[in-house]
Amino acid sequence: MKDFQLAWRNLWRNKRRTLITAASVFFAVFFALVMRSFQLGAYDRLFKNVIESYTGYLQFQNRDYLDDPVLDNSFEVDKNFFDLAAGDPNVKSVVPRLESFALCAAGSKTQGVIVMGIDPPGEDEVSGIKQRLVRYRLTPKAINGLKNEPIPDRTKRLMDVFKNESYASEGRLMLDLGISEEDSSAILPIIRQHASFTNGYLTSGDKTYVVIGNGLSVYLKAGVGDTIVLMGQGYHGTTAADKYIVSGIVKLPAPDIDNIIVYMPIDAARELYAAPGMATSAVIRLKNNSDEAILQTAERLNKIVPEPMAIKTWQEMNALLVNQMDADNKSGMIMIGILYLVIAFGVFGTILMMMAERRREFGMLVSVGMQKWKLAKIVSLEMLFIGFLGVCAGIIASLPVVFYGNFHPLRFTGEMARMYEDYGFEPVMPTMLPDTFYLWQSVVVFIILSVAIVFSIRKILKINVITALRA
Amino acid sequence: MKVIEIKNVHKIYSETEIEVRAVDGITLDFHEAEFVAIVGPSGSGKTTLLNLLGGLDIPTSGQILIDGIDLSKLKSSELIDFRMRNIGFVFQAYNLIPVLTAKENVEFIMSLQKWSRKDRDERTFELLKAVGLEGRANSRPAKMSGGQQQRVAVARALASRPKFVLADEPTANLDSKSATTLLEIMEKLNHEEKITFIFSTHDPRVVKMAHRVITLEDGKVVTDDIRE
Amino acid sequence: MIIEIAWKNVWRNKTRSLVVITAMAIGVFAGVFTMAAINSSVVQRIDSAVNEELSHIQVNNKDFRSSSDIQNIISDPSSVFSVCEKTSGVVATTGRIIVRGIASTSAKSTGVEINGIDVEKEKKIFKLSDKLIQGTGSYFGSDTKFNTVFIGEKLAKELNIIRYILTPEAISKIEAEGVPSAVITNLEPLSGQRFISDKKFSKAFENLLTKADRQKYSMIIKEAAWSYRPGSKIILSFLDIDSNQTGAAFRVCGIFRTNNDMFEGMSVFVPVNELRTLTGMGENRFHRIIAKIEDNDLTDKITSEIRTALPGLEVLSWKEIQPDLAMMADMMQQIYAIFMVIILAALAFGIVNTMLMAVLERTRELGMLAAIGMNRKKIFSMIMFESIFLSIVGGIAGMAVAEAVIAVTAKNGINLMKYSEGMEAFGYSAHLYPTIEPQFFITTTILIVITGIISSIYPARKALKLNPVEAIRTE
Repeated sequence: MKDFQLAWRNLWRNKRRTLITAASVFFAVFFALVMRSFQLGAYDRLFKNVIESYTGYLQFQNRDYLDDPVLDNSFEVDKNFFDLAAGDPNVKSVVPRLESFALCAAGSKTQGVIVMGIDPPGEDEVSGIKQRLVRYRLTPKAINGLKNEPIPDRTKRLMDVFKNESYASEGRLMLDLGISEEDSSAILPIIRQHASFTNGYLTSGDKTYVVIGNGLSVYLKAGVGDTIVLMGQGYHGTTAADKYIVSGIVKLPAPDIDNIIVYMPIDAARELYAAPGMATSAVIRLKNNSDEAILQTAERLNKIVPEPMAIKTWQEMNALLVNQMDADNKSGMIMIGILYLVIAFGVFGTILMMMAERRREFGMLVSVGMQKWKLAKIVSLEMLFIGFLGVCAGIIASLPVVFYGNFHPLRFTGEMARMYEDYGFEPVMPTMLPDTFYLWQSVVVFIILSVAIVFSIRKILKINVITALRA
Repeated sequence: MKVIEIKNVHKIYSETEIEVRAVDGITLDFHEAEFVAIVGPSGSGKTTLLNLLGGLDIPTSGQILIDGIDLSKLKSSELIDFRMRNIGFVFQAYNLIPVLTAKENVEFIMSLQKWSRKDRDERTFELLKAVGLEGRANSRPAKMSGGQQQRVAVARALASRPKFVLADEPTANLDSKSATTLLEIMEKLNHEEKITFIFSTHDPRVVKMAHRVITLEDGKVVTDDIRE
Repeated sequence: MIIEIAWKNVWRNKTRSLVVITAMAIGVFAGVFTMAAINSSVVQRIDSAVNEELSHIQVNNKDFRSSSDIQNIISDPSSVFSVCEKTSGVVATTGRIIVRGIASTSAKSTGVEINGIDVEKEKKIFKLSDKLIQGTGSYFGSDTKFNTVFIGEKLAKELNIIRYILTPEAISKIEAEGVPSAVITNLEPLSGQRFISDKKFSKAFENLLTKADRQKYSMIIKEAAWSYRPGSKIILSFLDIDSNQTGAAFRVCGIFRTNNDMFEGMSVFVPVNELRTLTGMGENRFHRIIAKIEDNDLTDKITSEIRTALPGLEVLSWKEIQPDLAMMADMMQQIYAIFMVIILAALAFGIVNTMLMAVLERTRELGMLAAIGMNRKKIFSMIMFESIFLSIVGGIAGMAVAEAVIAVTAKNGINLMKYSEGMEAFGYSAHLYPTIEPQFFITTTILIVITGIISSIYPARKALKLNPVEAIRTE
C-alpha cells in the first residue's frame, strides 16, 4: 500500500505536470468517444430508417424468392405457422405481402407498375404508410387562395417554385416554403385551409380500391375517385386484369418507387393474380431490434419454418445496403484511427517530457538508496493513475455531449435537409448512447498509455545516477 | 555628474506576518566611471538593492533617479525600454542566449535598438576584442568555458553604452584564473569607456580591485569607503 | 532577430521537437490524403454526371419534367439552338426526343427512359461512346436495317441479356489474372454451363469455393465469365404522339458501362429518326435541347444568360437538375475543414504541452531576457513563432508526403472493389484516383498556422507572468 500512497502523493506534488499529462489523455478519450458516437449514431439512424421502412429486420419468403423475385416463387400462407411465429416471445406480428409487376392504364396512358398487396393495418405498422398519404397539395387554386392570406412574402414566392407539389409531411412542406418552427403554428393552419388534400386509405378485404403513388397519379392524370386498369402476368402464367378506383394517394420519398407503386389489400391482389392464399413475403415485426435479438429470433423461427419457406435476415435482403454500411463504417474507423495515431504521439511525447523533467529527481532517489525496480513501479503507478484520471474525465465529459446529441440531435437545414428528406430520412445526425464502443475506445487509450509506461520503465532501469544528477 | 541618486529608499516585504525590511533607508550617490563593490552578509540587502537599481523592483518608498529620471515614474513598458538603453546586466549565470553565438549575443541589444548593421558589427568586434574573445565570435555558449561566457556577458552588457553596469556575483562560479582575467577586463573597460560598474559580491578579489566599497547590514549602509 | 531566435530555439531539444513535428506531419498527411480520396470520389461523380448523363445545360418545355407527356415539346427548337450557339462559352448543342416506356425481353420487362439522339452531335457532348464494353458491339457503328438501341449494363443484366459462362477463354482469362489453379479446378463442374444472372452464377460457385477464395476471386471470375452475344434484341414499348400504344424490336448495338447503376438501368439511346418514325413526331421536334459549355465554372453565368433569352422555356444547369451533386462539392470543403480542425485540435494539445515545458525550463533565461530589455511583446512573439515553426515544419512535411502519395496513387488509383456494389448503386466509382485542389493546401496551411498561434497563447502567458527578479535569483 505504501507504494500506492507514494505514487499518489507524487502526483499532487507537482500539480501542473500531473494535470497536463492527464489532460492529454482526457482530450484523447473525449474526442474519440464523441466522434465515434456521432459516427455510429448517424449510421444507426440512417440505416434503421431504410430497413424499417421497407424490408424490416426479418422476413419469411420462399427459399428462392430472394434470388428470383417472381410471382412463381411465392408461398402459401399457413395460418398455423403464422400464429406459431406470432407467439414467439420477440415477435409482435407477422404481416404478409403479395408483390408483382403489372401494366397500369388510365385514360390513354399506360405505365409499368409494381402492385403491392398488403394487409392495410399491418402494413401501416411496418412501414408507416399512412403517414405518407398526401396531406397537402399546392394546386394553382390553392396557391391563388393562399396568396391573399397574411403569410410571409418569402413563402408566397416559394409557393410558385413548388407549384403542384404534393406533401405527405409538414416537415417537408415547411422546408420547401421556408417556414420556421416559430412561424409554423401561425402559418400551417392557413395552409391547411387552402391546400389540404382529401385522402383515403385501404380496408382489409375490400377489392375495389387502391392507393397509388403521387408520381404515378400525376403521370396517369388519375386522382382520387378515378378508375385505373391493371393487367399483369398471374401465378403460373395466367393473365390477370381488373379495374380499380383510386381511394388515396401516397407520396413516397424515393421517386423510382413513387412513380410506379400501387397498393391494394392483399386479397384483391390475390384475386388479380389468381394466387389465392399466397404471399411473396411476410414481414416479421420484432419487439427488440438489437443485433443479438434478431439473430436469436431468426434461429428460433428457422427451426420451425416449413419448406419451402425460409427466414431471411435484413442483411441478406439488403446486400447493397450492407455493403454501403460496411464502407461507411470502415471509413469511419480509418478516421478514428488517424485521430488515435495523432493522440498517441501526444500522450507519448508528454510522458517522454515528464520523464526528462524528473531525471534529476530520479537520480537523487536512486543515489540515496531506492531500488530501480521500485522506482519504476512507483512511476508506473503514477502514470496509471494519471491515465485512469484522464479516461474517467474524458468519459464523464463526453456523456453530456452524447446524451444531448441523442435527444436533441444536430438538425440539418437547407439543401442538406432536403437531401435527407428526399431519401425519406429525418434530417438529423444523432449520437449513439454509450455502448461497447465506450469500452473499446478506453481500451485503446490504455494500450497507448501502456506502451508509454513500458518505455518509461526501460528508461528508469537504465538510469546512470551520475549523469542524472547533473541534469 | 551623478549617474545614480538613491534617496532614502526602503523596500519592505510584508507577505507573511513578519515584516522584512530588505532595504531600510538607504541614501547613496554614484558618479561616472566608478568601480564599486557592495558587500555584506547574506540577507543584508545586496541583491535587493541591485534589483532596485536595475529597475527590476520598485521601492516601497523613496526615489531612485538615474540620470535625473525617477524610475518609479516610468510605466512598465517604458521601464523595460529604459533598462535596455541605460543599464547593463551581468548575472552570476545564464547570461547568454544559448542558441546564439558570442557575436550574436553581443549584437542582440543593438539589434533590438535597431542599430545599422555596420554600426553593430563595428561595436561587436570592438567589444569582443576588448574582452579578448574575438576568436570565439562564432561559438555558442555551450562551447565556451565559464570564464569565457562571463566575458561575453560583459561585452554584451556594454554593447549599447549603458550608463552603468550592474554585476551580481559575476565571479562566483569561476576559478581564480578566470575570475582575475574577468576583473582585469572589467577594470580596463571601466577605465576606457568610463562606464560605472557596480558589483554585489562576496568575492575578496573583487573587493580588492574596487575603488569604492559599500558595506550593507540589515538593509542599511554601514560603511562607504573610497580607496585610492 | 526574434524570428531567428525562435527558429533556433525550436531545435534546442531535438527529440522533443521531432516528436511533435512527426505527430503533426502524420496528422496532416492523413487528413489531406483522406480528403483527396473522398474528394476524388465526388469529383469523379460530378465529372460522370456532366460528361455522361446530364451535360451542363438543359432546355425543356416548361411542363416536361413534371409530366413526361410526349406532347410537351419545345415549340421553336431552331430559335433555342441559335440562342445557345450564339451564347459565348457554349461549345456544342444537340436535341433529344424523350419518351417513357418499357423495355422487355421474353424473360423480363422494366420501365426505361428512351432517348432519341442525334448520334453524331451527341458524340461531341457526351463521352458515353467511350463507355462501350469491348466486344459488345459499337456505338451505333454498324449499318443495319434494324432499329438499334444502346443500353446500359445494369439494364442488360436485368433483362437477362448478359450471361455468365465458363468457356475455355473465360478460364484462361481467370488464369491470366493470377487465380491459383487449385481454385480453377474447383470451378471445373461449372464449365460450359450458362447462367442467366449474376446471382445464379454466384450461387453456383458459392458451394465450390471457400469463403476466403470467394472474397478474393469472385470479381475476377465474374468478369471473365461475363458473356454477351452481340445483336440481342429487346422490345421497346411506348406511346406515340396520339397516345396509342406502340413499339418495336430493337437490336442492341452495344452495351455501355458507367459507374452509375441507376443511369445504366434507366436510360436507353436510339437514333432520333427511328424514334420519330415510331412516335409519329415530325421533323424538328424535340423535348430537350442540351448545351455543353467550355468552362464549368461559368455554368451559372451562362445558364442565366440563356434563361433570360428563352423566357418561355425551362432552362436548367446540371446543378439545378441534381442539386445534391453541387452540394456535395461544397460539403466536401466543409467536411474537410471539420476533419482537419479535429486533427489539429488534437495536435494543438501536444504543441501546448511541448511549448509549456520549453517555457518552464527556461525561466532563468526568460527572466534574463526581460531584464536586459526584451519587452513583453517581443517575448510573446518569440514564443508564438516557436510554436508556429513547430506546427509549420510538421505541416509542410505532412503535406509534402501527402502530395507525393497522391501523385503515386493518382496514377493507378485505389481500388475498393469490395465496396463497388454499394458505391455504384449511388453512382460513385469504387476505383478512387485521389486528387485534391491546390486550395486545400492553402486552407490547410492557414489552419496549421492558426493552430500554432492558438497553442502558443497559454505558454506565452506563462512566460510573461515570470518576474525577472525571481527568475534570475541565484540559489
